[in-house]
Amino acid sequence: MPIKNTINVSSSTYISIKSPSLIFVMAVVLAGCTTTGSIEHATNKVDPYENVNRAMYVFNNKLDDYISAPVSKVYNKITPQFARTGVFNFFNNLKNINVIVNDALQAKFMQGARDSGRFLINTTIGLGGLIDVATDTGLDLNVEDFDQTLAVWGVPTGSYLVLPFIGPSTMRGIPGSAFDVAANPSSYLGMPIQLVSLLNTRATAEGALKFIDEASLDPYVFTRESFLQWRNNLATDGKSESSMDFGDDLDELNSGAKEVGAKGQSVPQDDLKAKHKLELSSPLQK
Amino acid sequence: MILKKISLVIVFMMSMLTTSAIFAQDDIGLTAKQVVEKFQSELIAVMKDGKKLGYAGRYEKLSDPISNSHDLAKIARIVVGKEWEKLSEDQQQKLTDIFIRLSISSYAHNFNDYSGESFGFDSEEETTRGGVVVHSHLVIPNDKPVKFDYMLKEKGNSWRIINIIANGVSDLALKRSEYTTILQREGFDVLMTKINEKIDSYSKL
Repeated sequence: MPIKNTINVSSSTYISIKSPSLIFVMAVVLAGCTTTGSIEHATNKVDPYENVNRAMYVFNNKLDDYISAPVSKVYNKITPQFARTGVFNFFNNLKNINVIVNDALQAKFMQGARDSGRFLINTTIGLGGLIDVATDTGLDLNVEDFDQTLAVWGVPTGSYLVLPFIGPSTMRGIPGSAFDVAANPSSYLGMPIQLVSLLNTRATAEGALKFIDEASLDPYVFTRESFLQWRNNLATDGKSESSMDFGDDLDELNSGAKEVGAKGQSVPQDDLKAKHKLELSSPLQK
Repeated sequence: MILKKISLVIVFMMSMLTTSAIFAQDDIGLTAKQVVEKFQSELIAVMKDGKKLGYAGRYEKLSDPISNSHDLAKIARIVVGKEWEKLSEDQQQKLTDIFIRLSISSYAHNFNDYSGESFGFDSEEETTRGGVVVHSHLVIPNDKPVKFDYMLKEKGNSWRIINIIANGVSDLALKRSEYTTILQREGFDVLMTKINEKIDSYSKL
């Protein structure tokens, strides 16, 4: 029976990832919950649904504690490191197709050519993607996806959302993920292979998850902040100035907090760019 | 006679001033880049002796380099945002003290071993508001390099680090969100307890 349950949960993950309409329905449900729920602590522009998100975060963590983590532990035990690396490389290689599509959509043609070369080398010499030969030849993996493309096209990030089974996302990230799933061949490979991909992803995330536990005072906020900053950094290809000017911005916020605090607005009005940057990477208190 | 005494006193006072200046502000007169590089080399040195030193040894060795290169009091203020104004003077002092301890202990905990890492300098730029950003990277053997960007501001005659951005993730922004959230949701005492627990776990792991 427990095995059956596990499969049920995983298959619903699978369905929810695959079906964009279901994700939209969930998002609407989520939004509906918050309007009727207490917004006492929802003082955050980036995270207006904090209470629901926190509940979802706890739910995902429980799911991880009771199902994903133990299963991944077993997976780690029974598979040697080189097999896990191979599986990781294989699925990563398939992702390249999506990367190449998004390179084109963002008009990054040079990068698109390199990523195509990377895909060809790894698929042929790298035995169908099992061995990442391309990285050794200097063709590093680029991370591009449809969420970044939407960002390049000027679509704002939108509110932060924690989705059941999936984890951190944003309003823009939902259609982004739906597109990415559709453009990834592994989505069409069927359940057992999907399951291996999920297992392997969880197994490789072990270190990162441990780090969050170790470094954070409030793991929920830590996850949200690092997720949003990481996405912003990817979308701007590391050229985001938000992180650069932060000290100064905060400095001014701090010194000006007394005067403008009463009005509930702590952003220098003359610096809209700074405001935008702050909104992207750090939630401002109302 | 009196004149001689006065000149002696002056000489004595001056020598005292200079020595105290040397002890208090080790990094005086250095450029932003030099402050960062000095700190990085001190960090690497401690990593190399990391195992031998143990947590307590690393904490002691890193205490001065961190305090001299960072403006920890200012960082402590920034991370609580406008909540700072709501704290009593006593609380502000407590927060600053514990934050300094947390910063040093997190370095002592995380940089505990050496396996061939090295820092490299990339570039330096001035920000619009008089700060300097030093772009550098940490080379890790058999792994992707990690970008480290240091944001510095001038404090008196010396440059001090007030933010570190690792691969695009700003430490200051991360901490600021955590601290303000905890202060708002759970209050000052819970924040203190959580930081104390963190320092405790860093010293044990």
